[in-house]
Amino acid sequence: MVHLGKISIVLYLLSASAAHAYVDPGSGSVIVTTVLGLLAAVSYTFRKYFYKLKGFIFRDKSDTETENSN
Amino acid sequence: MTDHVTADAGSFRDPANRVYDVKKHNDESGRRILRGMDKESLDNFQRLSEQDFYRRFEKNGQAVKTDILPSSDSDAIVVLKDGWSGVLEHTTIPFVSYPYEWTFSMLKDAALLQLNILEQSLENGWTLKDATSYNIQFEGSRPVFIDIPSFEPWVKGEPWVGYRQFCTMFLIPLMLKSHLGIDQLPILRSYIDGIPPTEATKYFTGFDRFKKGVMSHIVFPAKVENTISARERDDAPARKRIGREQSPAMVIGLVQSLSRLVISLKSDLKHSDWSQYDKTHSYEGADFSAKKAFVEKHASQAMRDQIWDIGCNTGTFSKICSPYCNSVISIDGDPDAVEQLYLEEREIKGSNTLPLVMNLSNISPGQGWAGNERKAFDKRKNPDLVLCLALIHHIRLSANIPNVFFLKWLRSLNSEVILEFVNREDEMVIKLLTNKAQQYNDYTLDQFIDEAKRFFTIEDRKPLKGGKRELFFLSPS
Repeated sequence: MVHLGKISIVLYLLSASAAHAYVDPGSGSVIVTTVLGLLAAVSYTFRKYFYKLKGFIFRDKSDTETENSN
Repeated sequence: MTDHVTADAGSFRDPANRVYDVKKHNDESGRRILRGMDKESLDNFQRLSEQDFYRRFEKNGQAVKTDILPSSDSDAIVVLKDGWSGVLEHTTIPFVSYPYEWTFSMLKDAALLQLNILEQSLENGWTLKDATSYNIQFEGSRPVFIDIPSFEPWVKGEPWVGYRQFCTMFLIPLMLKSHLGIDQLPILRSYIDGIPPTEATKYFTGFDRFKKGVMSHIVFPAKVENTISARERDDAPARKRIGREQSPAMVIGLVQSLSRLVISLKSDLKHSDWSQYDKTHSYEGADFSAKKAFVEKHASQAMRDQIWDIGCNTGTFSKICSPYCNSVISIDGDPDAVEQLYLEEREIKGSNTLPLVMNLSNISPGQGWAGNERKAFDKRKNPDLVLCLALIHHIRLSANIPNVFFLKWLRSLNSEVILEFVNREDEMVIKLLTNKAQQYNDYTLDQFIDEAKRFFTIEDRKPLKGGKRELFFLSPS
């Protein structure tokens, strides 16, 4: 998996701190899910194709084995 | 509204629906859980109930079984008077419990169920509009998703709107326990909307910030939230942050990465007095067998609806009661003992035992809006039988609660009771009193019997360990 943490470290260094009263604490979720989602998408896509490739190779193998046993 | 159909005091946050309790008798017969639905929610449910993925959730017991009630149903008529467009009926859950009463593995299993349901929904074009841990209940030792109106069609480009709530209510408490060994339950009891990242980040200092998932799901979100708060404080206008489209790979990828993170979180069982109870209890074989026989004799007298085992340790006596009732609620203040019981029970298909962590001298209070949103432990449902075995000396001598207070509370449950009195001569009482200036001279068998008779009828009793302990079967008088 792509390490979400590494990118988060960079983003962490860019910010400040304060208290809130009128600001919805969840209003930052769009930013957070966008950043983390982009990183997760890379991992998701990589895994998807990796498993497809793996399935393709092993299916071919098992098909060959089945044919041989027949 | 007629008096047997009442709107649930904890169901109001989603204006699109509301839960109603139906109680026609004092017992469980005729009890129903209904839900008034607005038009959009009802249309959604009609479409959802035709989806194969959703039907699988119901079939596998992952989601509570739900049906649309005909508008001619006598209880539905009452609910519809509140202006709803339709009424659903859910299968009842034996006992409502809250995340601040669950062990680490219970919260973890609940988190994985939430993520699993969300991921499968997303893959089928649906999503969940929130991610609160209160949407999960336990049926025995199996987590069940109960908030069916949370399902809604996934609009293209919509992000995972429940992400922050998932973190505050599931992930952060799990990480506090797994990464730092901090007991998450008292914190969760206070933060009933979950632990916000801006607070959680204060627990993680130094290298702890680099533990798995902390930087991404606590430190970074906390910094973003603090930055926004700083920029938009006082009279500065709020900036609109809605409408950024996210691809399915982004949303499903994030859900999957959280599943992997949650699976990786572990909390080892530690040796505690109670988690080792089966090996370390102070009984000889014959006395322990006699104690088990006494409990079984009275537990098996009738098929009861619910039995509570308060001070259950690792559940030895809960297991004896389990065949003789519809559900057992096993409670202890030691998280490791309860965790051990949960890990055993979740492997048993159809287990009817719900283990919960609670200090009996400080039970879960009513809290949330008007003190009613989350019900106090003893206001949710009355048991039919309560076991309190070798508990009263801890209540009196460790928690300093007078016996009469405890007996009065037990009587308020309006249930039969099997109680074990631990006498002053017992080695465990001697141990408790060894370094105490106060010697609790009122703590005697005779005084206990006098006090018990004020609230109960003593139906049966049996001395154990040569009179150092005594078992009582009490019925409310």
